Amino acid sequence: MKTISSLTMKGPAMPRLLARILLAGLLCLTLPLLLAACGGDDDGGADGTAAATTPGAGDGAGGRSGGVLRIVTEEDLAAPLDAGATYSAGAFNVLTATNRPLYRYLPDDPTRAVPDLAAAAPEVSDDGRTVTVRIRDGVRYSPPVNREVVARDVKYAIERGFSPAVGNGYAGLYYGAVIGADRATGGPIAGITAPDDRTLVFRLRRPTGGLLAEALVLPLSAPVPAEYARRFDRVGEGETSQYVNHQVATGPYRFKADASGRVLGAGIVPGRRYVLERNPSWDPATDDRPAHLDGIEWSVGNDPNVAGRQVLEGSGMSLGDTPTAALIKRAVEQHPDQIFFSPGAGSRFAALNTQIPPFDDPNLRKAVAAALDRNQMRLVRGGEVLGDPATHFLYPGVSGFEEAGGMEGPGVDFLANPDGDMELARRYLAAAGYPDGRYTGSETVDVVGDSGDPSDKNAQIFDETLRSLGFRTKLRLVDSGTMYGRFCTVPRAKVEVCPNLGWQRDFDDPQTVLYAAFSGDAIAAQNNTNIPQLDDPAINAAMARAELLVDKQERAEAWAKIDRMITETGAAIPWLWDKQPVLSSKDVHCAHQVWNQGHCDLAFSSLR
Amino acid sequence: MMRYVARRLLWGAALLLLVCALTFVLFFLLPSGDPAALRAGRDASPETLARVREQLRLDEPVWVQFWTYVKGVVLHFDLGYSYYSSAPVSTLLWDRLPATIALALGAAVVWLAIATPIGILSALRRRSWLDRVFMGGALIAISAPVYWVGLLALYLFADDIGRFPLLPGANSYVPLTDDPGAWFGSLLLPWLVLAGAFAGIYARLLRTSLTETMSQDFVRTARAKGISESRVVVRHGVRVAITPVVTLLGVDLGVLLGGALLTEAVFNIPGIGRLGLDAIVYADFPVIQGTVLLAALFVVLANLVVDVVYAFLDPRVRYA
Repeated sequence: MKTISSLTMKGPAMPRLLARILLAGLLCLTLPLLLAACGGDDDGGADGTAAATTPGAGDGAGGRSGGVLRIVTEEDLAAPLDAGATYSAGAFNVLTATNRPLYRYLPDDPTRAVPDLAAAAPEVSDDGRTVTVRIRDGVRYSPPVNREVVARDVKYAIERGFSPAVGNGYAGLYYGAVIGADRATGGPIAGITAPDDRTLVFRLRRPTGGLLAEALVLPLSAPVPAEYARRFDRVGEGETSQYVNHQVATGPYRFKADASGRVLGAGIVPGRRYVLERNPSWDPATDDRPAHLDGIEWSVGNDPNVAGRQVLEGSGMSLGDTPTAALIKRAVEQHPDQIFFSPGAGSRFAALNTQIPPFDDPNLRKAVAAALDRNQMRLVRGGEVLGDPATHFLYPGVSGFEEAGGMEGPGVDFLANPDGDMELARRYLAAAGYPDGRYTGSETVDVVGDSGDPSDKNAQIFDETLRSLGFRTKLRLVDSGTMYGRFCTVPRAKVEVCPNLGWQRDFDDPQTVLYAAFSGDAIAAQNNTNIPQLDDPAINAAMARAELLVDKQERAEAWAKIDRMITETGAAIPWLWDKQPVLSSKDVHCAHQVWNQGHCDLAFSSLR
Repeated sequence: MMRYVARRLLWGAALLLLVCALTFVLFFLLPSGDPAALRAGRDASPETLARVREQLRLDEPVWVQFWTYVKGVVLHFDLGYSYYSSAPVSTLLWDRLPATIALALGAAVVWLAIATPIGILSALRRRSWLDRVFMGGALIAISAPVYWVGLLALYLFADDIGRFPLLPGANSYVPLTDDPGAWFGSLLLPWLVLAGAFAGIYARLLRTSLTETMSQDFVRTARAKGISESRVVVRHGVRVAITPVVTLLGVDLGVLLGGALLTEAVFNIPGIGRLGLDAIVYADFPVIQGTVLLAALFVVLANLVVDVVYAFLDPRVRYA
């Protein structure tokens, strides 16, 4: 396996290098104007008028077997890269290549989960309180474990997810109804049993088997060998599980490791690079993924503009970040077959605090929603290629989207005009007790936005909208972590407006989009996910009923109704359904994971 | 001299303790992301969040956390674990240090190699066309932002995206131990870019200092003795005029060894600066603390080395 650097470096001989440095130095001194000219041809962002070029997601077929795909990013993969802990699209992308959760999605079908480690679809009992999964034969761990996977490995994997040393963020949300899970801190959970090596049974306190069955696509269900992992998971206070640095694989690839199995420093170098190589224990007879590539290498910390150019003009590369507006424009105009806009990449919305004035008044919320120019909000992000103006919260590609009204939405008047409707906004203001159509309250509205480009511009547009209606505002732009961690998710911070919020589904179930974001039960003093603090008894009751449904279509219809109810409150203003642009080199046959932000599915993609 | 060095080292240790305490106070006082929430994820329940906070000892009073940290560093050289990646902080720092040292020292060699002859020539031929060209160029080099120069250098000379593909570009850094030739090649552009502004500053400083030195009595005396002009300039003039340059070099090297962030970012050199920036973005406090301590250590050591070097450069300097 070559390293990233050795692939990039073409190994020039030293005397030639000296000549080159002299020549480079000479040119530096003599070509200042040329310098400026060369840097200037990328200026400007994608204006949204360029035609959308969206080649098919593809399945990687047609490429050759072998080669190394290089993925370049600026941002680090959201670590730790432990299947039991991680909770981000980029990390899911990597870990689906190294792990075999019970189920997974095919790259271009975000709605249908297929068995991976499981041998068949999960069996949910009629009362919705028991879920049974059969485990496939012949799946083995990579060295140094090497043995065959058994059902109790999945039991251990899920149990360790409840350990604070692992720190899984969704275990409680989706597996919390399993008997004993409410008290679990990493030890055995009574409601998960493995009666034999091939059978795994979940017994639930509440009849929420439908949701649990869907959640089995999450990486937490990927097996972990207890006898190997336990020594890394049992750590003292103040420390975190070290299994991530010694992890073994079940998928077609594994993190490069030393002889002892340690991947830290070899396959995982945080903030620098991640290297995958073929898993010698992987048996293609047990997996329908072609695994064309010999290896995958991530390079982290790249300047986004430089990395984007390297991808577009180089070979064997894909950009792991969202490209800059200038790069999108360049790709659309000059390399249209190298950019893919992945639909259903999430939704963006603004939350208005429903618990404190002035937005405890629904009419004022609706006035703001009516006035907001969602097309302008989209334009500053790059225009129509990057998404559609949102009309509700279940976004395209999520189960229940069509039932909730599709692109047209539920038909509420205050979201009818994507360019904004000031006349309607004034009518709502009048209904709120401001007959001249202008807010005259004395309080200052605290608006906290994301300082990163282009989110800062979205926050400024929102702030201007509020001001145009007469609100006095105080706009604070901070980094994303601070925006969430210190302001928007902390009710006692009493922030009235958070305009830069986004949500992505965890798997294909509408509950994963709506519950945490809008259920009254989700309101918490810290890490509050219901940022508008919407606590509507009718909505809460509808959610309580909908989460017990097992049939997928019934769930879609029930949650679509809830989506409509939420939209009608105006507690949050949906303004964009994202399409995620993904850049790849011309010789990369990228099988885009449409379920996961359009990243190249590493086990399906290939080089031409 | 040894007593002086020992006394300085003790003061240095006290300074590091102060820096450590300040970093703690700043991190917990100023708004930043919540490390427990960032680790546990946005959907984590309050109970999960509390357990993670307890596991990371973030629930303890700040002074207790500070004491635990200092104890770990002093007794075990244990800098803790990254909240973000679960990797030991010392491993992360050791992994990044070689690149930063290579970048900083290599660039220093380049800028001294450029600035020294230019500074001397400009001082000796003041107000000549050569002096004006050199000082004008120095001003341009100082004024150009490193980030911008770095991007232009890549768009011009990088062998993958450059108009004149001459040198390895961004993301080509190879550790010295892997391939010395490739390592050298990968650092050429970063060295040139980073050295540009520093060369301008040092050239102007040396010019001013040498101009002043060459008008001193001892230089006149040396000339009166019949010593050759080149010997007067090098042995008497430059040796004294270089003192402020050495002072500045000590400070600059100390700062750069703490991370040349912009250059590291443009060329994707995995150094300390980049590590520190990422740690701030991810509210990864143990790594923030580790990088800040390391940077402070370098500044302390560099200043100590500079003070010791004075004694060798300037016969008038003696340490009790």
